[in-house]
Amino acid sequence: MPAVHNKFFHRKKILILFFGCVGVMVFLFGRLVYLTVWEAGYYAQQADRLHERERSIKAARGRILDRNGAVLADNRTVCTVSVIHNQIEDAGQVVQVLCKELGLSEETVKARVEKYSSIERIKSNVDKETGDRIREYDLPGVKVDEDYKRYYPYGQLASKVLGFTGSDNQGIIGLEVVYEESLHGEAGTILTVTDAKGIEVEEEGERRIEPVNGNDLVVSMDLNIQSYATQLAQQALETKQADGVSILVMDPRNGEMLAMVDVPEFDLNHPYDLPQGTPETLSEKERQELLNGVWRNGSINDTYEPGSTFKIITAAAALEEGVVTPARAFHCPGYILVDDRKIRCHKVGGHGSQDFVHATMNSCNPVFITLGLELGVDRYYSYFEQFGLKKKTGIDLPGEAGTIMHQKENMGNVELATVSFGQSFQITPIQLLTTAASMVNGGNRVTPHFGVRTLKADGSLLEEFEYPVEEGVVSEQTSALLREILEKVVSEGSGKNGGIEGFRIGGKTATSQTLPRGSGRYIASFIGFAPADDPQVMALAIVNNPQGTYYGGQVAAPIVRQLFENILPYLGIMEYNQNDGQS
Amino acid sequence: MTARKAAGRRGKQQSEYFFDYSLLFIVLFLLGFGMVMIYSASSYEAFQSFQDEAYYLKKQLVAVIIGLAAMILVANIPYHFWERFATLAYVVSMALVPLVLTPLGVSSHGARRWINIPGIGLNLQPAEVAKLGMILFLATMVCKMGKGIRTMKGFLFMVALPMPVVLEVYLITKNLSSAIIIMGISVLMVFVASPDYKKFVVMALIVLALAALVVYLVASGSDLFAFRGNRIRGWLDPESDPQHTTFQTLQALYAIGSGGVWGKGLGQSIQKLSFIPEAQNDMIFSIICEELGLFGAVAVILMFILLLWRMMVIANNATDLFGAMLVVGVMGHIAIQAILNIAVVTNTIPNTGISLPFISYGGSSVMFLLVEVGLVLSVARRIQLKEL
Repeated sequence: MPAVHNKFFHRKKILILFFGCVGVMVFLFGRLVYLTVWEAGYYAQQADRLHERERSIKAARGRILDRNGAVLADNRTVCTVSVIHNQIEDAGQVVQVLCKELGLSEETVKARVEKYSSIERIKSNVDKETGDRIREYDLPGVKVDEDYKRYYPYGQLASKVLGFTGSDNQGIIGLEVVYEESLHGEAGTILTVTDAKGIEVEEEGERRIEPVNGNDLVVSMDLNIQSYATQLAQQALETKQADGVSILVMDPRNGEMLAMVDVPEFDLNHPYDLPQGTPETLSEKERQELLNGVWRNGSINDTYEPGSTFKIITAAAALEEGVVTPARAFHCPGYILVDDRKIRCHKVGGHGSQDFVHATMNSCNPVFITLGLELGVDRYYSYFEQFGLKKKTGIDLPGEAGTIMHQKENMGNVELATVSFGQSFQITPIQLLTTAASMVNGGNRVTPHFGVRTLKADGSLLEEFEYPVEEGVVSEQTSALLREILEKVVSEGSGKNGGIEGFRIGGKTATSQTLPRGSGRYIASFIGFAPADDPQVMALAIVNNPQGTYYGGQVAAPIVRQLFENILPYLGIMEYNQNDGQS
Repeated sequence: MTARKAAGRRGKQQSEYFFDYSLLFIVLFLLGFGMVMIYSASSYEAFQSFQDEAYYLKKQLVAVIIGLAAMILVANIPYHFWERFATLAYVVSMALVPLVLTPLGVSSHGARRWINIPGIGLNLQPAEVAKLGMILFLATMVCKMGKGIRTMKGFLFMVALPMPVVLEVYLITKNLSSAIIIMGISVLMVFVASPDYKKFVVMALIVLALAALVVYLVASGSDLFAFRGNRIRGWLDPESDPQHTTFQTLQALYAIGSGGVWGKGLGQSIQKLSFIPEAQNDMIFSIICEELGLFGAVAVILMFILLLWRMMVIANNATDLFGAMLVVGVMGHIAIQAILNIAVVTNTIPNTGISLPFISYGGSSVMFLLVEVGLVLSVARRIQLKEL
C-alpha cells in the first residue's frame, strides 16, 4: 500500500493529466468547428469540383429562314465520341475500334486514349450511323454523345452570305457570325459524380443543366430569287469565262437584300474543301489563305472602281445643286481638256451636240466631267459625304470594306474629273447599290440588311430588327428626275439590253478598266431598278474580267434583264403599258 | 459514485469488488461504432479490390473477437501476475523490432514495419508490442524506484529507460509516430510518478522550442529533414502540392468541409470512393466527419473523454501504485493516439500515420488496445468497494 501522501500527489497528477487531455480535445473540437462551419463552403466546393465530371450538351443552333420561311441553315444530329481514361478496360481494343470507325490514324487515337485526363474528345461531328455503330461495341470508357451539326440544305446557295460554323458550332463567316449571339443558344451540361478513378457513382445520379436552343433568324433573302440569280451568275461566269460574277438584289425602299450572289460560291457543308485542281503540297498557311479567298464575299469585302454607274451620283449632285437641267445642251468633241490633261470620251469621234438626258443615255464622259468641275471640289466632296459614300453601309455581314477616296486637300481638277465618271476611287458593290438606291427611292439612305427578325424556338416573334434610314440625302424632285433619265437610258440609250418589253425599267451601265490600266482586264456592270417610276426592286450585276465582249451594256445588262423578266412577275410587280388585261 | 450505484443494483451479497461496466460499455461502443465506420469507409474499395464489400469488416471483426477474448482473459488475471515479466517485456520489445529487417519482416505502404508470425499468417507490428511492454516495464520500475524517482538522477534514469526502444523504433522501422507515442507514454508515466512539476515544464518548453525551430527552419527553406520537411511544408500550406505531399491532408479537409455541421448521412461519403486512399485506416475520422458531420465528430471526442475519465477514476482508486501506473500508461497511450490522430486529420499538426484507437482498421492495434483495457479492468477489479 502506498503512503497516503504519495496517493495524494499521484491523484493530483492524474487529474492534471486528464484535464490536460480534455483541454487538448476541446481545442481540437474548436478546430473542427472552424473547419465544418467557417471553411465548409470552400472545402465542399473544392470537393464537388473534384467529384464532378462535366460533359456538355450542345444547344441546337437557331435555323436561318428565308423571307418565306424556307430553311436555309438547319441542324442535323451528329455524335461526339470521347473517351474517359479511367473507365477504359481494354485500351488496345478501344484504339482499334475507334481507328476503324472514325478513320483516324492510330497515333492520334492512341495519344488521346492514353492521355490521363478526365474526359478526352476523340472526334466531333461524327455521323449518327457511325456513332450508333460505335455505341453498339459497348466499350467501357467510350462515350458517344449526340449533338447537332449545322446543315445547309442548298449546299452552295448564298454560301458567302450565310456563312458556316466550325466544329464547336460557332459561326465562322457570314450571317452565322453576325447573329452568333442569337443563334448559338446556351450549351447545357451533364454533371456526374465520380469516384477517384473517374467511375460514375450511380446512386448520386447526374445533374443536368438543360441546353437552351438558339433562336431562328429570318432573313430578307428570297430563296427563289437567290437561286435564279445564282443560276444567271453561273451562266455568265461560264459563257464569259469571267473571274467572278456578282449579283445583288435589293428592295430600294427599305434596304432589304433579296439576293446576294458572288460566284464561284463554295459548298457550305464542306467549307474546307479546296477548289478542284489545287496542288496537294500547300502549307497550312497557304491553305488557309486560299480558303479565305474562296470564302471572300466580293460584294462586301472588296472594292472596285464603279465606272459609269457612278454617273448616277454625279448627276444627282449636279441636279440637286442646280448646275444642270435635263434640257441643258452640251457638245462632246470626243475629249475634254482638264488643266493640261486631255481626257477622252469612250466614243472616239465624240457624241456631238446633246442635251443632258442624252448625255446620260450616251454615258458621255466629257459632260459629267464638266458637271464635276462646275460643282468644284468643295461641293462635290460634300455631296459625296452627304450621300453616305464615305461611311460604310452598315450591312449585317462581317468585313465590309471602306471607301478608298482622295483626301479632299489632295483633290485637284484632274482627280475631280475622274471621280465624276467613276474612276480613281474605289467603293464596294454594296455601297454603289445602296447609294444608287437612295438616289432613286426619293432620297432616303437606307441600310442594306439581311436580318429581319428572330423567332423563338416555338416560332413566336422574339425581336423585329430596325435599321437606320437617313432621309432627304437628295430631294424628292431630283430623285424623280433621275428615275426619268435612267428609264430613258434603258428604253433608248446605252442600257437597252436591260430593258424588257412592257416593263418600266431604269438603269445605268458601266465598263471600267481595272488597275493597272492597259492590262486588258475590265469589269462590266449594270445597275437596274423597276418599276422605273416607283422602284421596288434594284439589282446590280458585276462581271469581273469577262473574255471577249466586255461592255457593261452587252455583258451585264442582259443578266439583269433576264433576272427582272423572271422576278418581276414573281414579286407581283405587274406589267405596265399593256392592255391585254393581265393586270 | 457510479460504481457504488452499479454495485448496489447488483446486490450486496454478490461481490465486494468493483467491475467497471461503464468502461467496458464505452470500449464496446467505440468498437461497434468503429466497425460500422470501417464498413462504410471501406466497402466501396473492398468490393473493387476483392469483390467483397465486407472484406475489411470481416478481418477487423476477427481481430476484435480475438482481442475481446484476450481482454476477458487478462481482466481475470490479477495484474501483479505480470510484474515478473516486466524485464522480459522490455527485452522482447527490443528484440522484436529488429526482426522487421529479417526475412520475417513484411513491407507495406513503402515501409517495413511488420513481422509475419509464422503459422498464423498474422502480421504483427513490433511497435504495438513495444507500447504495451513499455507500460508494463515502466510501471514496475516506478514501484521499484520508490522515492528514488524524486532525485534528478532518478528522473533522468526513468526518462532514459525507454530511449533504446524509442530509437530502435524510429531508426529501424522509420516510424516517427510510434516513437513519439512510446516516448509520450513514458513521459506521462514519469510525470504522474514524480511529485515534481518544474522538470516537466522545462522539458515541455524545450520540446516546444525544438519543434518551433524545426518548423522555422523548414519554412525558411532549409533542405534539412528531407521528406519530413515536406510534411511540415505541406502542413503550413495544405494546397501547395495537392497531388503528392498534401494529397491525403487536403482530401481529409475536403471530406470534413463537405460534411459540414450535420454531415451527409451514414454511407453517403464521396471522399471514401478512392479519393482518400484506405479511408478505413488513419483517415477514418475524416469519413466520420463527412458522413456524420460535426456532431458525429463531437460524439466520438466525447466518448474518448468518457473513456479517459473512467480510467482516471480507476487510476485514482487503484489499490497500489503499480496498478495506478499501469492504468496511467494505458490512459496516456489512448489519449496520445486519439489526440494526435484527430490533430493530423484536421491538419492541426503535420501529417504522420497514427490510427484512431478502437475505430481505425488494424488488427494488431485493436488487439493490443483490448489487452490494455483488460489490464485496466483487472486493476479495477482489485478496488474494494469500501475504498471508494
